[in-house]
Amino acid sequence: MNLTTEKAAGVARAGEVDTIVNYKPAYITMGVMLVFYVGIRIYEQYFGWKAGLDSFAPEFQTYWMNLMWTELPLEFVAFCGIGGYLWKTRDRNIDAVAPREEMRRILTLIGWLAVYAFSVYWGASYFTEQDGTWHQTVIRDTDFTPSHILEFYLSYPIYIICGWGAFMYAHTRIPQFAKRISLAFLMFFAGPFMIFPNIGLNEWGHTFWFMEELFTAPLHWGFVFFGWFALAVFGVARQVLDRVIELSKEYEKDALAL
Amino acid sequence: MSASTETGSPAGKTWKSKEEFLGCVILTDWILLVILFAVLLGSFHIHYMLLAGDWDFWIDFKDRRMWPTVAPIVAMCFAAASQSFFWTRFRLPIGATTVVLALLIGEWINRYDNFWGWTFFPINLVFPSALIPMGFWLDIVLMISGSWLITAVVGGLGWGLLFYPINWPVLAQYHQAAEIDGVLLTLADLIGFNYVRTGTPEYIRMVERGTLRTFGKDVVPVAAFFSGFISMLVYFLWWNMGKWFSTTKYLEIEEV
Repeated sequence: MNLTTEKAAGVARAGEVDTIVNYKPAYITMGVMLVFYVGIRIYEQYFGWKAGLDSFAPEFQTYWMNLMWTELPLEFVAFCGIGGYLWKTRDRNIDAVAPREEMRRILTLIGWLAVYAFSVYWGASYFTEQDGTWHQTVIRDTDFTPSHILEFYLSYPIYIICGWGAFMYAHTRIPQFAKRISLAFLMFFAGPFMIFPNIGLNEWGHTFWFMEELFTAPLHWGFVFFGWFALAVFGVARQVLDRVIELSKEYEKDALAL
Repeated sequence: MSASTETGSPAGKTWKSKEEFLGCVILTDWILLVILFAVLLGSFHIHYMLLAGDWDFWIDFKDRRMWPTVAPIVAMCFAAASQSFFWTRFRLPIGATTVVLALLIGEWINRYDNFWGWTFFPINLVFPSALIPMGFWLDIVLMISGSWLITAVVGGLGWGLLFYPINWPVLAQYHQAAEIDGVLLTLADLIGFNYVRTGTPEYIRMVERGTLRTFGKDVVPVAAFFSGFISMLVYFLWWNMGKWFSTTKYLEIEEV
């Protein structure tokens, strides 16, 4: 939904609408992500069993390792590209942001956060528990199982990229997040991010001990610890809402009457 | 980029009209709620599956001793943190119900699409534990008492005690006794043995044992009472965790 108003009364020329909120890019991104994940799930359904059981087989290299060696560089480029673009195009005159423009950017940030939240669902919920059922079914002979290639090395980097984009957008364009670092926002991004390096501990441990048999094995608890930091979404929501209230003082009574 | 200009609104004003403001606020409130729901779903799910997952995944792990002890204690963490945020900041008594609903949506999608759809385990082997009545209970205690202290004590104890009874209507049929090749076991065990997993061996499965049993037939009440006791303590801790994660503190850039 877009809420638009005409710039000048009686004149509605193309390109002159003053849009305060536009969640369409966020909806489209989530739609694309949904289609992508459904597609990759269908791929997994077929090639998990057909080519994913023996990592020494040539077809494993073809269908799974090639996928991993494709996705990892692309993710690294996307991470650097999004961060670099947002930094390069940052507002260099952040003190002069007018209230309406600031509100527009805050609402754009909420769109970023929606995309981040959606990607967190896929990574932390969908693909992580899926990995549990694969380990219960197939004894692995590699750290790079079909479920890991989609979980650890695809869905986790994607939510990291989305979180990084949200963090950098706020840091480069919204005054309250630009001049100082929000502790909640930092935890909200950095905690789930740390789940990715924690894979190093996890796979190192599995090199010595076969512990897939229990998903609750202590070796997995690093993921739990860093997952807790996603609760910092509470602090981020408060900071965003506090600023929206400050910028909307004139309509406070109307909001309370809702 | 220096798009710090205002177009179309009165000088220094954020909104052009009340209608624009109200439309935007209502829409954005809903989106924020969806964001909170999705993030809580993801983080609660990874927490729950890696601390209590095996008991929640499999019918033959849903025993009378370990499952009713571990699952409520682990689930209490996010219920308390979520209540802390929604009640302290918004006076909404929905925190516990919201977060267990989020968890169960994530779990059911997974059990159907992955446990059944990918690795072909039957749903009656892998359905998740029921938690929603416990969420109702905790939220109602908080709403009526208005006190997190009372909720920790009364709600926390009830949280642990309720877990087994609310799961019993579905579980009872699988605890029927069966004799297979001269061995006495439950239908849940039988289903588990028919679907061999890496968690199947008895030295891995953490369930109550027939030997060295202290409580005889009264295993469940003791386990539930113990679970309620620990849930109280967990509630205290995680209510404050929820408060801590609600921080609006800023760090100076030089500090980072």
